[in-house]
Amino acid sequence: MTQMSKEVKVNHFGKLDMAFEPRRGYTRLVHVYQQPPLKASRELYEGQNPTATVFIMESSGGMVAGDRNEIDIKLAPNSQVRLKQQSALKIYPSHTGELCTQSIHVKLGEGARLEWMPEVTIPFERAKFQVDTSIRMMASSTLIWGEIIAPGREMRGEIFDFQSFRSQYKLYVEDSLIAFDTLHLKPKEMDFSSIGLLEKALYVGSLWIVSPNVDKLNVRDLQEVIYAESDMQASVTKLNDHAIHCRWLSKEQRTLHKEINRMFSHVSNLM
Amino acid sequence: MKRQRDASNNRSNTVDTLTDFSLLRLLQIHDSAFPIGSYTHSYGMETYIQEDLIRTKEQLIEFCRTYLFHNLVYGDALIIQDAFHATKSSNKVRLAELDELCGAIKLAKESRDASVNVGKQFIRTVAPLIDSPLLEQWKHKIDKEDVKGHYAVLYGIYSEALGVDVYHAVMTFMYASLSGLVQNAVRAVPFGQNTGVQALNELLIYVEQAAQKVMDLTIDDLSNNALGIELASMKHEFLFSRLFIS
Repeated sequence: MTQMSKEVKVNHFGKLDMAFEPRRGYTRLVHVYQQPPLKASRELYEGQNPTATVFIMESSGGMVAGDRNEIDIKLAPNSQVRLKQQSALKIYPSHTGELCTQSIHVKLGEGARLEWMPEVTIPFERAKFQVDTSIRMMASSTLIWGEIIAPGREMRGEIFDFQSFRSQYKLYVEDSLIAFDTLHLKPKEMDFSSIGLLEKALYVGSLWIVSPNVDKLNVRDLQEVIYAESDMQASVTKLNDHAIHCRWLSKEQRTLHKEINRMFSHVSNLM
Repeated sequence: MKRQRDASNNRSNTVDTLTDFSLLRLLQIHDSAFPIGSYTHSYGMETYIQEDLIRTKEQLIEFCRTYLFHNLVYGDALIIQDAFHATKSSNKVRLAELDELCGAIKLAKESRDASVNVGKQFIRTVAPLIDSPLLEQWKHKIDKEDVKGHYAVLYGIYSEALGVDVYHAVMTFMYASLSGLVQNAVRAVPFGQNTGVQALNELLIYVEQAAQKVMDLTIDDLSNNALGIELASMKHEFLFSRLFIS
């Protein structure tokens, strides 16, 4: 341990700026700036579909005390993009007490469409993490965004052993703030099993659907499609006429991930 | 006695003198007969009641504690505190931001709608009771739909105009919120009146702690960790039969 603390740790400052634009029938990644450990794959396409699929890669294997990640995504009007993180985001113990931070800024032009595939964030024991996500979009643009928060490395019996986990998710449509999902989990100060907090659940899943086509969706139908049982609570709500939020509180990761993906493609096909 | 003195010392930096008259005016808006419709909202509690998860006084107290410390303290109470200060400095831009924030943190549609509906009933009821240009302007903004009219913001404006201090404004707001929940639980579970009275009495100490906690926080601390209550509030919309609007 003493040796470890003598080592001078150089914090990672990962940066990834991506700008997309439609060109000759396909959406292209026309600008990319990457600073390790963040990196973007090249665009992938499925047949004639103009949607560019890009993988976001984190080559360090996880964030350590004091590390920062900044991701900036811009979609020009009518671009269609699907982003996938290559793996779960792991937050290592903060031995120095420093915070790991990640910020994600997204800007969608008129008629643009972004899908952010659900991936898991795992705060390890003693981890300190803050993620700020802000999304600015137009009434004509479409967003489908999913994410999952884990309680730790559950397989190792590491459940809510992190120091703090803060997430602030802001969603602006035409400059008005339609949703501000803000969590600040501090396991030492909270008994998550209490009624009204997480109760039996360990995992939190969220899905955000914003689109001019949302008025075609009936929340009552979605509530019937969403799968809930005793180990997984789930529900749907309207943020406004063009935005829907789904939330899952689950005891188990695998079924939650499967469910959120199923809901994601269900909605994606309807939009 | 000692404790009381300590508490007032702690708040001395935020306390305007709480006169008997302003105290009485504050009490009046929290009277259960004050027509703002709090008896029609359960803020998700009814879902728990229907799922048979609130059957005992202890469970009711636990639910109310979570609502108090993880919803109100980090949500509406912070909005009230900031709205109170914004009113003091006549900062209408800030008030409009708070109105937007207040809606944005309430993800469940029914809780968001409840906040606006109670707010609108509140302003209709209090507008004739006080001579406050800012409240009048705010009412006009609500009528023009420039702002939504969330209750917490209106309550912050009104309590500042009453001349009470922010600490007591926040504390009585939280007391009234829990009192409303307990009374609704008495009707819906149902509990005996005495059980309700005892539950609320046991919660009083937490209301005081919660109000002190709020004074140490700022609007940057906004958060909603009461995810179970939020989900219950989302599910409430789909319940088959309901006593409450939210």
